[in-house]
Amino acid sequence: MNRFIFLLLTSLLLIPGSLLAAQPTLEELQQQIADIVEEIEELQDRVSKPERHAATDRISWYGDLRVKADTLHYNKVTWNPGIQLDYADFGAKMAAWNAIAADAGDPRQAAVTNALTNFGAFQAGLSSEQQAVMGAGMAAAGAGQSVSPFMLAPTKKTSDINNDILYTTRLRLGMKAEIASNMDFSGRLSMYKNWGDSTGTKVFDSWNAFTMDGTDGGSTSGDFLRVERAYFNWKDIGGTPFYLSIGRRPSTSGSPANYRNNELRGGTPSGHMVDFNFDGITIGYKLEELTGIEGQAIRFCYGQGFESEWGNGEMFNDTSTANIEDTHLGGFNIDAYNDGATLVQMTLFRAQDVNDGFKGTFAFPTAYAQLFAPTMYTDMQAFKNMNFVVRYTPSTVIGDINLAGINFAREEENGFVWFGALGMTQLVPNGKAGMFGGLGTDAVFEATLTEDNSKIYMAPARAENSDTQEGYGVYVGIQAPAPMGRVGLEYNYGSEYWTPFTQAQDDAMGSKLATRGHAGEAYYIVDINKNAFIKVGGIYYDYEYTGSGSPVGKPQKIDDIKKGTAYSLMPVVDTAYDLYASMTFKF
Amino acid sequence: MKTLKLITISLLLVAFCGSSVLAVEGGNDRKGKYLFKKSCKTCHTDGAEGGVVTPLSKTMSQWDRFFSKGKHAPAAWEGFSEQDLLDINQFLYDHAVDSEQPETCG
Repeated sequence: MNRFIFLLLTSLLLIPGSLLAAQPTLEELQQQIADIVEEIEELQDRVSKPERHAATDRISWYGDLRVKADTLHYNKVTWNPGIQLDYADFGAKMAAWNAIAADAGDPRQAAVTNALTNFGAFQAGLSSEQQAVMGAGMAAAGAGQSVSPFMLAPTKKTSDINNDILYTTRLRLGMKAEIASNMDFSGRLSMYKNWGDSTGTKVFDSWNAFTMDGTDGGSTSGDFLRVERAYFNWKDIGGTPFYLSIGRRPSTSGSPANYRNNELRGGTPSGHMVDFNFDGITIGYKLEELTGIEGQAIRFCYGQGFESEWGNGEMFNDTSTANIEDTHLGGFNIDAYNDGATLVQMTLFRAQDVNDGFKGTFAFPTAYAQLFAPTMYTDMQAFKNMNFVVRYTPSTVIGDINLAGINFAREEENGFVWFGALGMTQLVPNGKAGMFGGLGTDAVFEATLTEDNSKIYMAPARAENSDTQEGYGVYVGIQAPAPMGRVGLEYNYGSEYWTPFTQAQDDAMGSKLATRGHAGEAYYIVDINKNAFIKVGGIYYDYEYTGSGSPVGKPQKIDDIKKGTAYSLMPVVDTAYDLYASMTFKF
Repeated sequence: MKTLKLITISLLLVAFCGSSVLAVEGGNDRKGKYLFKKSCKTCHTDGAEGGVVTPLSKTMSQWDRFFSKGKHAPAAWEGFSEQDLLDINQFLYDHAVDSEQPETCG
């Protein structure tokens, strides 16, 4: 700046006097120069402030705020809970326990007699429907089929449920910082809440009601600002096309699921296969530099979905939680071609040692106490509107999951977008099961005595089978320019065993891409300006099988649940629709 | 349901009353990218005369000022039509350092 002033003054001095004859006087020029110098000094002061600010404010923040109204309508919600019971084992055990009760010399006599008396009372209290199912099970066991259903509730309940209005607010604060010329940090803090609730938990009536590590960015969980993403990128390692990235991964809203959100590709993995928060590592190689194919990259991703020991009370050496395995995830994520307008992506992914759930919190449903904990239910009836919050820990490794998929998206010059994705999921159960089942298979319960022999209860003993099951999913959509914005149409289908990791999709009714059945969506996005838009639309769900979004338990035909010939521990929805309107502001 | 209708209508009214505040307009991002890679990159790569230039080299408003004031050496722009320059401007603007970026790793 000083050099500039010097040059300015010098050039003024060099101007011939003749030229100045008709010009302002020397005094006037001196005054003008003084004014300019003063102005420059003021500008220097002003520039130094943002310069200082830029140097010290190391994180660059950005974000978006979305407010949304949904009207939710569930048709034929059926709750017909039941379990698969080993009636042959049950009959044999009852005979053995009756023998103990009749043996005056057996020290367990009194306790077992008490257990049998209580069970007799329980049996006498069963509804006629339950007794018919139990009778059929006993008869089948006599004919050689040992495992049959046991109906847990007196009768099935079916109803339509309408939530006329649900308001939500989602705040996402993105962060970027440069660590070095080839290193950077990215992060995102996220809050997603429904209006009028900041408890952070919901009564456990669906997968969507489970507050857990992988989905808390996509499921309403109160006014907590959670760390949805936090990772570093170390690029061009040693001058090679390798890069390393570690932390809480950018693994949600990947292509092509980003178009409906009116945002650019929001995560690395295919949005059709994986929309789930992971902690892990990515080692990538920019193949483009080797093959010359634009945007081509291959990435090996590794992550951990469940930690079996830390935090699970391992010091108590409790066999119910301490002897299970960590869940590890690994696979390849390949951008075969990506020129910014066309993306072809392939996914190969394996989840090893999957447990019968994740760690998480929920409010314990009173209905489950009625089914599984009658003693507790006796007290809970006095507090029907109160649900204690529990920390759930899975109990059993139930197998492995493999995923494979390919997705394609194309943005035309005229603003038209079209995309498609195909996916395959494979459940490989190991024959074990927790309370909610094994991998794609139901748990077989056996009658068991409590440690003090005073009560009979039903405990999951094994999976019904260990058959490998494949599921298939397809997802297609278009987006077209429309007055003041664009319109979109999307459709997805999932087969009986379709089990992607997309539970963090923030659809109010749960991830539409996890639907075992059909889901269709139509929407209209209206641009208010470059950074604000309105979206109105609707999603229609037609479920064909139970368990959408969950790898645990055998999928049952919705029609069979409705008819009462099949059972599910969770309430089951036949069809549903969600009409919504939202406003999103990016900043 | 009445509440929903009311909300929907209100939101649409807000939208239709909204104003557009786009900066550079009329350019074709896709064509701009093609032209940038084909023509500009010959000089603007590592070791070349113009030095490395990518969309991330400037902010959105800096790219707009750069083009509106014609700050580039005129000779290099002689082969471009006005629309070409608008397309390149659009591409650089849309992918500038402060623009929305894909949020993938690496």
